[in-house]
Amino acid sequence: MRAFDYIAPDSTESVVAALAAHSPNARLLGGGTDLIVDLKHTSNTPKVLVDVSQVEDFHGIEMTDRGLRIGSMVTHTEIMKSEIIQKELPAMVDAAHTVGAVQTRNLGTLGGNLVTCVPSMDSGPTLLALDALVTIAGPKGSRQITLEEFFVGPRKTCLEPDEVLVDIIIPKENVGKPTHFLKFGLRKGQALALVNAAASFHVGDGNIFSAPRIALGAVAPVVMRATKAEDFLAGKEITEANMAEAGEIAVTEIKPITDFRASKEYRRELVAVFTRRCLAGAYALHQSRA
Amino acid sequence: MDDKVRVAEQQDLDTLESLREADADLRLPAVVEPVAYPLETLTPVARQQTPAVGQRAPRPDGRLHGLGQTKYIDDMTFPDMIHAKVLRAGIASARIISIDVSEAEAMPGVLATLVGKEIPVNSYGPSIQDQPLLADEFVRHAGDGVAAVAAVSEQIAKDALAKIKVEYEPIEPVFDPLEAIKEDSIKVHPTASNIYASKIVKKGDVEKAFAESAHIFEDQYRTQMVEHVPMEPHASIAMWDANERVSLWSSLGRITLGRADMARVLNMPVNRVRMIATIVGGNFGGKNELTTEPVLALLSKKTGRPVKGVYSREDEFISSTTRHPFIMDYKTGVSAEGKILARKVRLILDGGAYCSWSETTLGKACILSPGPYNIPNVHIEAYVTYTNKTMTGAMRGFGAPQVCFAYESQMDDIARKLGIDPLEIRMMNAFEEFADSPTGQVLESVVVKDSLKIAADRFGWKENG
Amino acid sequence: MTDVTLTVNGKERSASVPPETTLLEMLRSKLNLTGAKLGCDVGDCGACTVLVAGKSVNACLMLAVQANGRDVLTIEGLATAEAFHPLQKTFEELASLQCGFCGPGIILSAKTLLDENPDPTVQEIKDALAGNLCRCTGYTKILEGVVDAARIMNGKQDAA
Ligand SMILES: Cc1cc2nc3c(=O)[nH]c(=O)nc-3n(C[C@H](O)[C@H](O)[C@H](O)COP(=O)(O)OP(=O)(O)OC[C@H]3O[C@@H](n4cnc5c(N)ncnc54)[C@H](O)[C@@H]3O)c2cc1C
Repeated sequence: MRAFDYIAPDSTESVVAALAAHSPNARLLGGGTDLIVDLKHTSNTPKVLVDVSQVEDFHGIEMTDRGLRIGSMVTHTEIMKSEIIQKELPAMVDAAHTVGAVQTRNLGTLGGNLVTCVPSMDSGPTLLALDALVTIAGPKGSRQITLEEFFVGPRKTCLEPDEVLVDIIIPKENVGKPTHFLKFGLRKGQALALVNAAASFHVGDGNIFSAPRIALGAVAPVVMRATKAEDFLAGKEITEANMAEAGEIAVTEIKPITDFRASKEYRRELVAVFTRRCLAGAYALHQSRA
Repeated sequence: MDDKVRVAEQQDLDTLESLREADADLRLPAVVEPVAYPLETLTPVARQQTPAVGQRAPRPDGRLHGLGQTKYIDDMTFPDMIHAKVLRAGIASARIISIDVSEAEAMPGVLATLVGKEIPVNSYGPSIQDQPLLADEFVRHAGDGVAAVAAVSEQIAKDALAKIKVEYEPIEPVFDPLEAIKEDSIKVHPTASNIYASKIVKKGDVEKAFAESAHIFEDQYRTQMVEHVPMEPHASIAMWDANERVSLWSSLGRITLGRADMARVLNMPVNRVRMIATIVGGNFGGKNELTTEPVLALLSKKTGRPVKGVYSREDEFISSTTRHPFIMDYKTGVSAEGKILARKVRLILDGGAYCSWSETTLGKACILSPGPYNIPNVHIEAYVTYTNKTMTGAMRGFGAPQVCFAYESQMDDIARKLGIDPLEIRMMNAFEEFADSPTGQVLESVVVKDSLKIAADRFGWKENG
Repeated sequence: MTDVTLTVNGKERSASVPPETTLLEMLRSKLNLTGAKLGCDVGDCGACTVLVAGKSVNACLMLAVQANGRDVLTIEGLATAEAFHPLQKTFEELASLQCGFCGPGIILSAKTLLDENPDPTVQEIKDALAGNLCRCTGYTKILEGVVDAARIMNGKQDAA
């Protein structure tokens, strides 16, 4: 790697101050599993790396009055080990479990995954299906937006160069919402998704889909919601046929590409099947809890 | 005139005679009496195993591996050692117009650069010497090295590569081996044909046997390029000393061959080249020939420092050898009962830009291509062609896995079509003791059928099939 | 330059390194601990695996300064003067390693697994070793080595 300076502030304020002083010549460093790989292959090295992995405010997983708060520097391993997540949102455990391998999950963070914003990111679909919000701190203070607004394009979020991702919040009403995540890679470990998907819904009176959400990865420039499929499901009875139908509708909403991992045709097939299976998985979770 | 000649002849004769005498004079008395032994050589008796077989033998290196104490090349260092990196062409086919290393050389921390023209004999290869160590005139695949840099750190060497300016005149490349073998195809080397080795094996009369066959199966099979991906990338250290001798520590698997090649390309007597084998961190056939050793040696000569060169994973993928992709046409004639009567095989091997171990691969693939089956009539043709791709060379099995994929796939198709159990059809056709191989070799210790039977019993072929 | 102080294999070690130095580079070139290897340099192969504060990481992706003040265990620190780690014993006995290049990383990954989960299933072992590639063995003997080591550690088998 080429030379850079390194600073490790210990609070949100000092991170923001450091960014104000150095951006756009600064990059934030979390676990480094994306950034350090990039820096080894680029000639475009930042002057300063601001290590945010030690900032207290960016850690911790806890229930607040707004919902479940997950610090941006929480690692995938910490998500897998969190009792509250295991109990309320096992889909997040499954999603975290599919990221790379043990070593990657021990270093790699949820925030880093969202900010890198590749279409195949494994934490995207579940969080999108749970209507997650993100807190961003910057020179003008802090703001909160939906994760959907946060994702702008491949490798592009709405973060300004002088802003930092503080935490991710899962709204209270969605903590415990039946959710299911699936990923298809060429191998079980150490493989990026050909397609990943998550679905969640509440079971409404009369066994109907209430607030259904379907989120799909690696089939569009950013992780996306299949809103037509969601609209189709809303208020309908929970049946296998409806789940399968939603899968077919979801296929019409995606914009997959052919690359060295899979063809777009194959990705379409996967989306139909995964949407159905994710819905079925979420329902199975609901039933097992009842 | 005649006299003169006679004189010369006379003189020559004398010289030779006197030399012989001198030689006899110089001969030292034997220190040790020669050992007498009977002329009978030891003939191993088939299937009579030595007592060592079946015994547990710990690997002598196992303990050090587990302790992290095994020293591979990259774990070694010498005082004042510097690091080398090679610039890869990044273009599949081109003529090199110019290489300008001046900016790289001017960088602080850079001690030397090297281009192909500075290499005494810039060609090598285990059978055909068709590969430059650093491309000097033509680039034939994207992984060809075009220049090297030695610097005080790997990072500086890498940065310096970016400062080297190479001007190319692109040449249309050929990638598809079926295109490459055509007469009017673009030629990768200045040869009349891209096919640089071929082999034909004939036994019996296939055409006659096809006419007598109840069923004919014709299929094409293809396999892909495979990189060895040794966990340890290629690595070596060169040290040129003041007495014009060079020592090399290399992850090369064949040091004797490497040493001879080193002497050849550096144009120096072999006794000035010292090759030191170390533990190899995975070879699989991919470390069977020189790569950058001579380049490191010359950089060491230029700088007077030990020079280490370790391949990056990218180097490993784009510029080290790979397994040959095969295009295999199989035509097989079978009797109504499922006996194979004739097999015609055509193999096209994609050799990539240079020969490497293609000839060995071609030969072995050819001989093994009909499979371990008694086939009275066989016709095999195999060709290996240049293409503008990463060169292919030795890899575990030298072509055997590729043809095995083809003949066993076809065997399954034949079994399915004839409604015969896939195991049964193999038992029906497999070699037995003293079978005749396609090349006429009488085979001993043939255990194909026993192996198949034992394997089938172990995994419950009957029950699960 | 940044001063980095680590507790490596139980001993405090310091070095002054440029900030862009990875933990792997510091261990290998400053502390002469060459057990962790550079295999792919992008976190895929696991040959550089070491434990930082008890957790396995790819030392090629971590900056040395990020490990400042923390405990680092490398393969060199696994055996004691009294005994091999059971994994080192079983790997040797079963010839679990061939060329050995992946060994230090695999043994450390397996160690963290057994520390947390003393009686893993084969599937759990595979999951724990997913970040460690081996090209020689086909993994069978490696899995057997971990299973046997677990048995020894659980007292079900003598460390023969
Ligand atoms: C071998 C390997 C396998 C992998 N497999 C997968 C996989 O299967 N699935 C998958 O989704 N990903 C995978 N990844 C990618 C990566 O591990 C994840 O994206 C990880 O979550 C990134 O987190 P990090 O903390 O390491 O990010 P870093 O590399 O530290 O940072 C990533 C980006 O986020 C920015 N950033 C970091 N923190 C903040 C912050 N608080 N605020 C604003 N910006 C910030 C950085 O500047 C950088 O641009 C893999 C990576 C490797 C090396």
